[in-house]
Amino acid sequence: MLEDKIDDVFGYVQERCLWQFFSRTWDRQENIDGVVDQAVAILTGKAPNKESPLSRLHYADATIMVGDLKERFPWVAQAGESEIREVMDGLKVRLVDTAITRSTNRELTHHLY
Amino acid sequence: MPMVLLNCDKDIPERQKHIYLKAPDEDSREYLPIANAATIPGTLSERGCAFCGAKLVIGGVLKDTIQMIHGPLGCAYDTWHTKRYPTDNGHFNMKYVWSTDMKESHIVFGGEKRLEQSMNEAFDEMPEIKRMIVYTTCPTALIGDDIKAVAKKVMRDRPDVDVFTVDCPGFAGVSQSKGHHVLNIGWINEKVDTLEKEITSEYTMNFIGDFNIQGDTQLLQTYWDRLGIQVVSHFTGNGTYDDLRCMHQAKLNVVNCARSSGYIANELKKRYGIPRLDIDSWGFSYMAEGIRKICAFFGIEERGEALIAEETAKWKPKLDWYKERLQGSKMAIWTGGPRLWHWTKSVEDDLGIQVVAMSSKFGHEEDFEKVIARGKEGTYYIDDGNELEFFEIIDLVKPDVIFTGPRVGELVKKLHIPYVNGHGYHNGPYMGFEGFVNLARDTYNAVYNPLRHLAGVDIRDKAQETPVIQREAA
Repeated sequence: MLEDKIDDVFGYVQERCLWQFFSRTWDRQENIDGVVDQAVAILTGKAPNKESPLSRLHYADATIMVGDLKERFPWVAQAGESEIREVMDGLKVRLVDTAITRSTNRELTHHLY
Repeated sequence: MPMVLLNCDKDIPERQKHIYLKAPDEDSREYLPIANAATIPGTLSERGCAFCGAKLVIGGVLKDTIQMIHGPLGCAYDTWHTKRYPTDNGHFNMKYVWSTDMKESHIVFGGEKRLEQSMNEAFDEMPEIKRMIVYTTCPTALIGDDIKAVAKKVMRDRPDVDVFTVDCPGFAGVSQSKGHHVLNIGWINEKVDTLEKEITSEYTMNFIGDFNIQGDTQLLQTYWDRLGIQVVSHFTGNGTYDDLRCMHQAKLNVVNCARSSGYIANELKKRYGIPRLDIDSWGFSYMAEGIRKICAFFGIEERGEALIAEETAKWKPKLDWYKERLQGSKMAIWTGGPRLWHWTKSVEDDLGIQVVAMSSKFGHEEDFEKVIARGKEGTYYIDDGNELEFFEIIDLVKPDVIFTGPRVGELVKKLHIPYVNGHGYHNGPYMGFEGFVNLARDTYNAVYNPLRHLAGVDIRDKAQETPVIQREAA
C-alpha cells in the first residue's frame, strides 16, 4: 500500500516537476529536500517556511504539487500526518536515487556551471 | 533492447548509444542516451556551430545592439534573422547585419585593424546605437585576433559606448550549445552588476531563456503587466543590453529555456542568491502552472487566478475545437533540445496528440532525463539525429506532422509529410494561452492540408484516386 502511494507521487513528480532535474547534484538535492519538506508542511497543516527567497521558491513549487496530488489521488486528503511523512520520505529516497545516485548524466558533478 | 541500432547505422554502431526506445517496465535511468558529445564520424549531423549558438540564439535577439561578426561574410548572413525574433522598436536586429568581411589578405596580415575600423564605422553610421557585441569566428580565432583588446581600445576612444565580446569560434565545442554557455558565463562575469535601473514594483524578476520568437516575449509581457510584476531583464527576447546589466536587481529568475540560459540563472543564484524557478511557457496547463508558481512566490495568488480564469475563458473553447480534430494525431519533434520536454506532455494533454519520436540537436543528458521522464513508452528519443535516421524513424512511427526546422522540413515534405517550423514557428507566437491556440491551428492546418495528399497522386495514372480531405473552418 505504502509503495503504491509512493509510486503515485513519484510518477507525478517525474511527469510534471522540472526542479528534480536541475543542473548539478547539489541543486537537485536542495530542491528535493526543500520542495518535499514544504509539501509535507502544507499537507500536515503546518505553516510553510517563507522566510528566505529559496524557501519561498520551494513553497511555490510545493503548493502546486500538493494541489495536483489532492486532485489526482483521493487518498491524499484521507491520509494522516504519519502516513504523509512516510510517503514523502519514500518519495525523497526515490527521487535522490533516480535523479542523483543512479543518474548517468555526466555533468551532474562538474564543479562549474 | 531499449537502445536502438537502426539499419542505416550498421556501419557506425556507436550511434546505438544515442537512440532510445522507451519500453514498459524498465528502468529508464539505465538507458540515458549519450548527449552533448562529439558527432561520430560517418554521420551527417544537423547541428549548428558554437558561434551560431552565441549569436543567432542569444545575442542577436537584442533590440538595441550592433552585432559585429568578426569573420567572413557568410558567418554573418547565415546567423541573421532566420529565427524570426521581432522587437517593439521596429525590428532593428532583423533589419541590419554587420560583418568585418574578412578576406584572404586580412587572414594573412591579421584582422584587428579591420575590426577596429568596422566597429568605428558601425557606430558612426548608427550614432543612436551605443551598444555592441563583437563575436570571433573560426578564421579570426585561428589567426589569434584579440577582439577583447580591440573592444577596449574602441571603448577608450568612444567613452559613450559599451562593447561585449564573445570569444567563441564555431569549432569550440560539439554544437551550438557551447556558444550558449560562453555567452552566459561571459555576460555574468563582465556585464551583470555594472548598472542599476529604476525599480518600480516590489515584485521583480528576470525572464530567462525566451527569445521573442514571433512575439512570445511580448505576449507574455502582457501577463506580467497585468500581474504587476516588473521584468528587470528579458534574457534576451525583445531585450536591451543595459537591462541585462541589471539582472542582479531581480528577486526571482524565471527560466523557460534551461538549455540555452540555465547557466546564467545558476550563476545569479550562486553569486546573488536569486532563486531559479523553471517553468514551461508552452501549453495551457503548463502556462497556468507557471503563473501560479510565480504568483505563489510573490504572494499574489489571487491576481494569478484572475488572469488564468480570464485567459482560459477566452482561449480554451478555441483550443478544444482543435483538440477534437487533432486527437490521436502523431507528431515528431526534431528541434534543438528543450522543446522536446516542453512540448511532449503539453501537446498530449492539451491537444490529444501522441508524440512518437523526438530528436535533439544540442540537448545535454539533462534534457534527455527530462524528456524521457515526461514522454511516452513506444516513443523514440534521439540525440544528434541525421537524415538517414530520420527517414528510417519516419517509416517506423509514421508521423502525421513533424515539428522541425526548415532544412529538415523541406526533406520531409518530399515524403508528403507536413512540417511546422519548430524553431521560428509558422504563425506564432506559440507561448502562453493564445500562443498554444496558434500552435494548434498550425498543427491542424498541417495535418489536414490537402496538398500533401494530392502531391502523392500521379495524375497521369487514372487508376490512382485523389484523396478527399475534409478541412473545416475554425
